[in-house]
Amino acid sequence: MPSLTTDRMTVDRRVALKLLASAVAATMARCSPPDEEIVPYVDMPEGLVAGESMRFATTLSLSGYGRGFLGISVDGRPIKIEGNPRHPFSLGATDIFAEAEVLSLYDPGRSSAALRDGQIANWDDFATDWERVGDATAGSAIALVTGRIVSPTMLARIDALKARFPGLRWYRYEPVSDDAARAGAQLAYGRLVTAMPRWAEFDVVLALDADPLGHGPGQLHTARAFSSRRGSGHRQEIHVVEPAWTLTGAAADFRLALAPQLIGEVGRLIANGLGANLGEAQLSETSRAFAEQVSRKLLAAPERAVVLAGEGQPAELHALCHWINGRLRAPVDYLPSFDPIDTSSRDQFLALAEDLRARNILALIIVDVNPVYDSPDSLNMVDAVRSVPFSAHLGLYRDETGQCCHWHLPATHPLESWGDARALDGTASLVQPLIQRLHDTRTHDEFLALLANEPAKDAYDLTRATWRPMAAADFDMWWRTALHDGVIAGTTVTPVTISAAQLSRLPEPSSASGLTLVLSPDPAVWDGRFANNAWLQECPSPFTKQVWGNCIRLAPGDAAKLGIADEDTVDIELDGVTISAPAIVMEGQVEGTAASSWGQGHHAADNLLGGGAGERYCGLGSQPFPRVLNGAQLRKSAKVIPFRSTQSHTRLSGPAEELFQIATLAELAKTRSQTEALPPSLLEVPPKGEYAWAMVVDSDACIGCNACVVACQAENNVPIVGPEEISQGRDMHWLRVDGYARPQGGVMRRGFQPVPCMHCELAPCEPVCPVEASVHDHEGLNVQVYNRCIGTRFCEANCPYKVRRFNWFA
Amino acid sequence: MGAALTYLIWKSPYATNQWLTRGQPVAFSHAHHVGDLGLDCRMCHIGAEKAAFAGIPSTHICMTCHSQIWTNAAMLAPVRESLKTRMPLHWQRVNRLPDYVFFDHSVHVANGVGCSTCHGPVQDMALMRQQEPLTMGWCLQCHRHPERYVRPKDRVFDMAWRAPDDQAAQGYRLVKEYHIDAGHLTDCSICHR
Repeated sequence: MPSLTTDRMTVDRRVALKLLASAVAATMARCSPPDEEIVPYVDMPEGLVAGESMRFATTLSLSGYGRGFLGISVDGRPIKIEGNPRHPFSLGATDIFAEAEVLSLYDPGRSSAALRDGQIANWDDFATDWERVGDATAGSAIALVTGRIVSPTMLARIDALKARFPGLRWYRYEPVSDDAARAGAQLAYGRLVTAMPRWAEFDVVLALDADPLGHGPGQLHTARAFSSRRGSGHRQEIHVVEPAWTLTGAAADFRLALAPQLIGEVGRLIANGLGANLGEAQLSETSRAFAEQVSRKLLAAPERAVVLAGEGQPAELHALCHWINGRLRAPVDYLPSFDPIDTSSRDQFLALAEDLRARNILALIIVDVNPVYDSPDSLNMVDAVRSVPFSAHLGLYRDETGQCCHWHLPATHPLESWGDARALDGTASLVQPLIQRLHDTRTHDEFLALLANEPAKDAYDLTRATWRPMAAADFDMWWRTALHDGVIAGTTVTPVTISAAQLSRLPEPSSASGLTLVLSPDPAVWDGRFANNAWLQECPSPFTKQVWGNCIRLAPGDAAKLGIADEDTVDIELDGVTISAPAIVMEGQVEGTAASSWGQGHHAADNLLGGGAGERYCGLGSQPFPRVLNGAQLRKSAKVIPFRSTQSHTRLSGPAEELFQIATLAELAKTRSQTEALPPSLLEVPPKGEYAWAMVVDSDACIGCNACVVACQAENNVPIVGPEEISQGRDMHWLRVDGYARPQGGVMRRGFQPVPCMHCELAPCEPVCPVEASVHDHEGLNVQVYNRCIGTRFCEANCPYKVRRFNWFA
Repeated sequence: MGAALTYLIWKSPYATNQWLTRGQPVAFSHAHHVGDLGLDCRMCHIGAEKAAFAGIPSTHICMTCHSQIWTNAAMLAPVRESLKTRMPLHWQRVNRLPDYVFFDHSVHVANGVGCSTCHGPVQDMALMRQQEPLTMGWCLQCHRHPERYVRPKDRVFDMAWRAPDDQAAQGYRLVKEYHIDAGHLTDCSICHR
């Protein structure tokens, strides 16, 4: 080494080479690959091939109804959910919640230990406490609160619990329920039946504030029928009347934005056209014209037309729709209810609140629902629950309810559970675990078996016991078949023939003072149960593209009156309660309404589910699970609540309209014959192999459900980045769904355009990479050689679709 | 000069571990099991035909035979210990590729690449060694010219197979028959995903 003490250090070529050689020698000192161990099994599980995936059929429930899926497991760990083609409510597809369930399984925010008054305890302590309570209280002072239960094994557990505690009060409620539909059926037919339209069979459908293509346990079933008709060349005509945008509204051919109070008038007009004579429909000229047009179309398609009403509408409209469908001879199956409880969710919730207030309940058991969050604030549920001498909550998270109860017990996730479930049409299927319990948890069945002190306490044994009578001879063979198929044959409910619907009076439309607040389940976190699921929180809302929160959507007129622009924070006040949230102006939403969603705003939960993102609206009003609230006041807020979204510009006008092309069928037929000449290019033509890959997204069929966004995230381990990074424009989704609004044919239309990497044949991202990390393969794919990338991001700059993502922290 | 030195060192067995024999918890002899007894590779390396990772046999597989033969051999004490304590054996990996290489065993086995082509004459190895350098350049020799190395599918597990004199002709025939697309084999995405 040259001496460093010379006054002037000259570095000539010799010195440089010496330095180089010594540096090279230094680096060569340790340059062989590291040592690695291979640690095999002692006893390998049967059928397992290390590193290869196995598929197990299981069922995941949403609002009490099951959808059958296949869980993909690698080395004993479930990593992906895919559809089960054999299950009628999956049909090989998954929805956004099913895809995200796998993240909930591994959520570190999940409860892992039993807590008594916030201190770590254990299940044995709970069992001891419960025994004392069981001995001390009479059956009628014990209350069980659950979500919708139609699972045969769970129903058997409740029966066993009732046998041990006669007079046990069972309150079941589901925030996203079908109360209005059931009440409507009761009015029309005198019995509880569920209407299941045969989607493939009708040509014209009118949705009155209903959202059949929207999220829910029936979405996959409906969407499949919808898309098969879409692609068949024999399209259905979809008419929608709604106050605010829904997925069905975006897919509609004809849409009318109408205040929720007036939607019944459209039904009245149509019923009058069928001879109902219900009095003059109070509609404006444009609304009347719309209603008359749809009435004509319905009447022109006998036996192939149907009218649906949504949960935001009163039971009388549902009953009227039954009558209309009867007159139209609509293709609808009527399934008798297989939910053992007849009362509505709202009534059950109010009864619970009343009994708690009256101090009738001495022991409260809450299984996987969150009544403290779901409750209207006026019912004072926090104090009510806290006042009960003994309370226990079984749940995945220590949410608002878990905090108010003495005992919070960790629940087993469905992907770790044995059990069963039934779908909307009654099809039963088994739930099988894909992994051993990660924590010391109990399934719902096991918890109730513990409470009832049943002899068998393991979910596997309990489930097998339920189904043993079903299998005539060889139960083990029956069991294996049921597990393999993911459906249990012979359990689908047979439709009943019903008498003609009663024509009931439709009340006059109520007049609304102030603003009407329209609420619906959140398209990402549903009723709040998925609030801590980061994939869902970061999945952009279909219309506003908002992440990590729920905004208030306003009509342009209302916003203009108050000088509110996009992303301004507004205060919405109802009955003395003020909620502040960012606002977004939505062209096509009816004047006089503000729309938002339930499920967010878990500020009160100790561990801040979802980081406390969004605002909570279900506390407003006097009725639980409000969908329409009148008398709200809106004003610009002094506060600033950040609005985070992945797409700020959705409105297309002028030449930009070609980004999202909408055409009538006649226009489409004309344009089909044109072929575009390829423009000349200086790019090198990529080599061609034996075959080529292609992927086509039918944007005409896309309903904007976002299942693909979360599926891509699950499949490719795409990380979430959090709300702050999203604010800075750094979203990480490999597949995004662009939402566009543009005028077409004189109306505002909205649509969805899923944008993955397009695997351009002459990909602009390839020639600009200085290290050839972005290359084209012989099969037509644009591929990324990750270890070669040096991070110049020139490819991201050159991508015309802006789909390239840089994950520095991978 | 430094560059040349670096290159030589980089390609040498010092860096690639070629011909390196590693010590193992049990001195398992492929020469005895494969050479003398004639066991097929798939008896123990279950994933070779089906999966990306060929796998090392579980203790249970060893005990399939050694619960009956050589039951008290001192050499096999660690295996018996493993079965008793339910703690697996920690084998030292001999053939290793870097993490940024996605190597799939099954696609090679399924397309006529024999075990001995890459792993050498395993039936002569008293202790397992890495026979080939396993560098990208070495892999590319076959990926660029698969016809020089491919063998009939029914001879993949045949340790005694030698390339015939007319390997070139036979190779071309097999490559066409097995639909091996040499163009695609040199795409980066074949190994780097």
